Amino acid sequence: MSEIAQDGGGGHKKGGKVRSKKMSTRVDFTPMVDLGFLLITFFMLTTTLAKPNIMALVMPDKDLKKEDVEPVKESKVLTLLLGGNDKVYWYEGISDAKLDSTDYSAEGVRQVILNKMDKVKAQFQTETYKKKNKEGVEEERTDGSYVNVIIKPTKDARYKNLVDALDEMAITKVRYYVILDVSPLEEAFIKNPAGGLKFSVDDQIDAATK
Amino acid sequence: MPKNKPKRSAPSIDMTAMCDVAFLLLTFFMLTAKAKPQETVIIDTPTSISETKLPDAGTITVLIGSDGKIFIDMAGQHTRLSLIEDVNSRYQLGLNDEERMKFANLGSFGVSRGQLKKYIDLAPAERSTFPVGGIPVDTVDINKSELADWIHNARLAQFRMKQEGKVKEEYVVIVKADQNTPYPAVQRVINTLTDINVNKFNLITSMEGKAEKK
Repeated sequence: MSEIAQDGGGGHKKGGKVRSKKMSTRVDFTPMVDLGFLLITFFMLTTTLAKPNIMALVMPDKDLKKEDVEPVKESKVLTLLLGGNDKVYWYEGISDAKLDSTDYSAEGVRQVILNKMDKVKAQFQTETYKKKNKEGVEEERTDGSYVNVIIKPTKDARYKNLVDALDEMAITKVRYYVILDVSPLEEAFIKNPAGGLKFSVDDQIDAATK
Repeated sequence: MPKNKPKRSAPSIDMTAMCDVAFLLLTFFMLTAKAKPQETVIIDTPTSISETKLPDAGTITVLIGSDGKIFIDMAGQHTRLSLIEDVNSRYQLGLNDEERMKFANLGSFGVSRGQLKKYIDLAPAERSTFPVGGIPVDTVDINKSELADWIHNARLAQFRMKQEGKVKEEYVVIVKADQNTPYPAVQRVINTLTDINVNKFNLITSMEGKAEKK
């Protein structure tokens, strides 16, 4: 493949004087090109792989005032408790909540969210409700048919679980979701699902608004 | 023999032009490539479907290792220099000019303020053997939390630099945690961030499908 080109330059002439042999001035560049492209490949791969993706996350303000809190309908709420060993516990609403568990696969938690969305859509499609706008005037709203997902990672969960749960929010296009701390009542609920969840809405508001 | 043989020469091609192109591209990639900063902690990020790319400049990264230790890294030499001058005089760290310059080029670090001088004085190769304890976090009293203090002061320093025209953007807070980090460690960082009114931040993830999906 890579021979040094030898034509051009010093050919022997018969019979003439013995001249000093002229060396060819041509250099074979093939190995240099090989090296060049090798380095190019290296730099191309290292630069493009270095840039990771990011996922934006917005947390609620810590100094939330009680007046600003607007209760959502219980039937719209889906709570995901991220447990240990890649397990998700979930329940709907608050009163007579039934605990169920699933995993992070496409057939698991995603289906739970989609089912809940279908349920909420069927129930609230045409519902209108009144809400005070910034000037204090009541106006009718119709866009309340969205599911509200509460993500509560327990202390046994790992970071991957949280990212997976947030990923599902992006995949199923859940509009309202929030990450909250798990309450002792819910920890007891996971341990003893038959005991039911004795949650007080007022306590929740107090906890969120300090 | 009268037969006329065609003259056979070695099929040599002039490689000069190809070589030129190769080295031109090589130069381009070398100049645009950014040197990978030295990793103080190995972090295997979880995967997500997100396709937003990490911004080039103006980031302050909080790294959480799989053991829950917290590291921090700020971009921008000017900002870091301004930050360490501020912190140095406030907490009497006793860093001289040279040590402050070293801090500006340090990359990520995970030591408490008290250990910082000792850590900076080490040669870069020795830093990996230093027993780093992570940046201390206090979720009860935010004024005692060094992580909150670093982030708060770094954002102030970046803001000063922006006003002086040395940088274009304010800091974006990035959280980079290992996928096996227990949630309480992440929760401490998130609580610290919301305590200092950083309610919007970004989580670093890698592309879905590259790593195993369960």
